Amino acid sequence: MTACWHIALREYASFFRTSIGWVVIALYMLLMGIWVARAIIPGEPASLRAVFQTSQILLLFVAPAVSMRLLAEERRSGTIETLGTSPASDWAIAFGKYFGALFFLLTMLAPTGLFLILLEVIADPDYGPIATGYLGVVLLGMLYLSVGLLFSSFTQNQIVAFLGTLFFFLILLLATTIGATTLGEPWSEYLRILSLGARMDDFARGVIDTSHIVFFIAISFWFVSLTAMSLEFRRWR
Amino acid sequence: MIELTQVHKRFGQVHAVRGVSFRIEPGQIVGVLGPNGAGKSTTIRMITGSMPPTSGRVSVDGLDAVDDSLEVRQRLGYLPEANPLYPEMSVTGYLRYRAGLFGIRRSHRAAAINKVIDRCWLSEVTQRRLAHLSKGFRQRVGLAAALIHDPPVLILDEPTNGLDPSQIAETRSLIRDLAGDRTMLLVSHILPEVERTCDRIIVFAWGEIRADGTPDYLLSRGRATIVLEANTPTPEALVSALRALPGVSGIETASLDDGWVRATIEGKSRETDLREPIARACRDANLLVRELRPSKESLESLYLRLVQDEPEPTGKSKPGATP
Repeated sequence: MTACWHIALREYASFFRTSIGWVVIALYMLLMGIWVARAIIPGEPASLRAVFQTSQILLLFVAPAVSMRLLAEERRSGTIETLGTSPASDWAIAFGKYFGALFFLLTMLAPTGLFLILLEVIADPDYGPIATGYLGVVLLGMLYLSVGLLFSSFTQNQIVAFLGTLFFFLILLLATTIGATTLGEPWSEYLRILSLGARMDDFARGVIDTSHIVFFIAISFWFVSLTAMSLEFRRWR
Repeated sequence: MIELTQVHKRFGQVHAVRGVSFRIEPGQIVGVLGPNGAGKSTTIRMITGSMPPTSGRVSVDGLDAVDDSLEVRQRLGYLPEANPLYPEMSVTGYLRYRAGLFGIRRSHRAAAINKVIDRCWLSEVTQRRLAHLSKGFRQRVGLAAALIHDPPVLILDEPTNGLDPSQIAETRSLIRDLAGDRTMLLVSHILPEVERTCDRIIVFAWGEIRADGTPDYLLSRGRATIVLEANTPTPEALVSALRALPGVSGIETASLDDGWVRATIEGKSRETDLREPIARACRDANLLVRELRPSKESLESLYLRLVQDEPEPTGKSKPGATP
């Protein structure tokens, strides 16, 4: 458990010691800023609903950029050997890496609080849907990072890890949108369950559905566990 | 203590380690020597819990390297050959991270870090980033990281790799200092390094142990020969004079530039002193002798001979010699 914590802290700090952390935060703020500016329309209610819906697409690119280095870089540089011969279990390594990336994602979202201050100054926003919107973004980020972590454990190449994660979610997106409408029952029903967009829409509207929260957390946990198993398999094959 | 019992490792068709057994007691510095691809690194990886043996048992302090992997790793200090580090971290930051990984309590961490910084002569670079350190300092950081939890078992893979001669000498004396009651395994393909630092040498080749013992014991296994320089019209005359001697098993001759002939004579047993019979034989054959001396095979030529031959294709391992 302590090993997991130390791995997470090191990972979190390394985002800021290398340029990637600052670059990702700056890009995210820039793109979010553009969307927020477009969402504020005089005479309309001060809502960030459109922002939260589009952040789903934005995170699709940002999260894999955060997760791609987690294990791929350790394997490329060989530090996986000193990590793997320390008394940290493969589960501690997988969860430590995951939490390090998750803390970074939360840090990345923190400056968007500036937009809320701006909104408060110029209008009278309804904070309910904004809070659930943030919850949705965090849960979605958790899922993206967990899949990204798994892909990062397969390769030494960060680009491969990035593209693998991106294609995984693009295929999921296509399947749950176009696939769900063209395929007949029962397939479209199954695909609708997997649809991330439908769940995100609920959060953006201000609806907290426990089944959505359980869905995101359970699937994320499942992918981090798969990563731990992938590390174990590599060690003991 | 490290103990390997009939350990085999196969990667598909490749039989990388073939029935290796040895036992290393605390307080011993053991050098593992062998050419590249001899199975040294694979053996080390099995001890450190990076991979399981295909068959056989690996144990550290009586704990199984596969079943009790975490406990084994807690007892190991390991410096890998490539000495991988996180370039973006500072020396102290990295050591603090390693201390945390090994479960050193916050209250003891600073003391543990200071101790290894002192031991490995790192005090002048504590705040420097690892990326900006010279190879010598990086190697010391790797060694400090391996020592941070004061492990009873220390495994160093090519610890003087890439160091300059004065750093090599420093590292060697550090290694001797560190020994104490630790079990130490030093992997190298540099013979003099192992010869000077280690109490015992294990020679690997083709996945098996070719020799195992103290440097003196290994030397005693080397060929003992007698070198003779005589003035003879033809080398054949010298050979025919010596071949008749009962104790002689082989003679090699070489003509020297000044017309003399040098013969290297191998005896049937190491114990029989052949000098006197040879001198008599030369006198009887009317050959003038200017040099007659016993010669022992150097560790280097013994080592080269040991690692040369490929094993039998059946894959059966020869039993390693014991001291």
